[in-house]
Amino acid sequence: MKVAIYTFLGLLLLLAESSLLSFIPVEIFKPDLGVPLVIYTTLFLGPQAGIIATLFIGFMQEGLSAAPHGSILFVKIAIFLIATFLKKKLYIDSKFSFAFVCSGFVVLESLLYITLSLLAKGETRNALNILFYTIPNAVFTGFIGIFIFSFIEYLNVRYLDRE
Amino acid sequence: MRNSIAIIVAILILITSFLAFTNTPIFVRGYSAVKSGFSETIGPMLKLMAKPMDLVSSVFDSYANLVGAKKENAELKKKLDSLLLENQKISDLERENRRLRTLLNFVEKNPKSVIGARVVGEDLKNWYKCIIIDKGSASNIKEKMPVITPRGIVGQAVEVDRWHAKVMVINDTNSSVDVSAEGKDTRGLLEGTGQEVLKLKYVLKNDDIEIGDKLLTSGKDGIYPKGLPAGIVITVNRNKPGIFADIDIMPFSNFKHLEEVLVIKR
Repeated sequence: MKVAIYTFLGLLLLLAESSLLSFIPVEIFKPDLGVPLVIYTTLFLGPQAGIIATLFIGFMQEGLSAAPHGSILFVKIAIFLIATFLKKKLYIDSKFSFAFVCSGFVVLESLLYITLSLLAKGETRNALNILFYTIPNAVFTGFIGIFIFSFIEYLNVRYLDRE
Repeated sequence: MRNSIAIIVAILILITSFLAFTNTPIFVRGYSAVKSGFSETIGPMLKLMAKPMDLVSSVFDSYANLVGAKKENAELKKKLDSLLLENQKISDLERENRRLRTLLNFVEKNPKSVIGARVVGEDLKNWYKCIIIDKGSASNIKEKMPVITPRGIVGQAVEVDRWHAKVMVINDTNSSVDVSAEGKDTRGLLEGTGQEVLKLKYVLKNDDIEIGDKLLTSGKDGIYPKGLPAGIVITVNRNKPGIFADIDIMPFSNFKHLEEVLVIKR
C-alpha cells in the first residue's frame, strides 16, 4: 500500500517536473525527483518495496527523457543495490541527513552514468555536460529531498501507519 | 529470503537494462516494447498535466505586471488590478493570435507537408535536450522527422509513441545538422553542446564566414530540408591551433519558450 502511494507520488512529481517546470527558463534547476523516492522506499520500506518503486520510477524517467534505452533504469537499479547494501551504514535521523544522502546518490548517479557510457559505448561527448550539471543537480535534489521527506513523514503520521 | 529475491531480481534487471543500452538486438526489441507501453500510459497524463501550465504561466505573467502596477497606482489598486488582468488577457490573446497566424501562413505555404503540435513537456534530465510534443504515431509522426518553428529549426523526432513524440533539440550533444552560410559556399556541421550556444565544426580557417552570417540547412544530412534557418554566427576564432576555426552559433529559436512547433512530413 505504502509503496503504491509513494510511487504514485513519484509519478505526479515527475510529470509535474516535465510539464510544469518547463516554463522556468533556468536549465540548471532540474532536480532528480526519482532519487529521494528510491532511497526512501529502499531504506525505510525494504528491498521488495524498493525494487518496485525503482523499476517504476526508472521506466517513468526514461519515458520522459531522450536518454538511450536502459541507461536511466540501469543507474537507478544500481543506486537501489548500493542503497540496499549500505542500509546499515547510512544513518538517517532527520530530513537534513536524508537530503545529504540524496545529494550524494545524485553525484554517484552522474558518475555511474558517465562510466556506463564510456565503458559500454565509448561515448565521451556528453560526459562534460553531465559533469557540469552534477553539483547543481545534487544541491537541488537535496533541497527538494527535504520537502519530499517531510511530506512522506507527514503522510505516514497523518494517514498511514509508521513502520 | 524475500530480500534476496528482490536483490536477484534487481541484478537481472540491471543486466537486461545494460544489454538494452548496448543495443543487443533481442533485448532492445523487448525493452522498447515495454518502454513504449509505459510511455503510452503516461502520454495522456502528461497532456493533462500540461493544461495547468498555461494557467501557471499566465498567472506568472499577470503577477509580474501587477507588481509594477501596484507601485504606480496604490490608490486605484483594485480597479487597476482588474483592468490590468483584462489587458493581460487581451495581450496574451493577441500574442497567441500573432504566433498562430505565423504558423498558419507557414502551413498554407506548405500544405499537407506539416503537422502542427503543442509542446507538453521537456526532458527530465538536463543531460539531454529534448522536448515532448502532443502528437505521436496516431498523427503519422515518425522518427527522424524534422521539427521546426517559423523562426528556424528545432530538432528531430527521436522516439515516437502513440500519443506523443520526443524531439531531440539541436543543442543536444548528440545532435548535428549539415548547414551552410547564407549566400556563401561555406559549409559545416552544426553540433549541440548541451548549452544554449552551438558549435559550427569543420569550417576551415580560410573559409568565408563572419560574425552575423545566417546559417541555413543544406539539406545534405538527409533529415532537414534545404534552406531552413538554423542560427546566426556570434563568434569566429581563427587563432586557435589546428586547421579549423572555432565558431559559436546562436540558434534562432529559444528552446525553453516553445509552445507550438511544426513537424515536417517526409
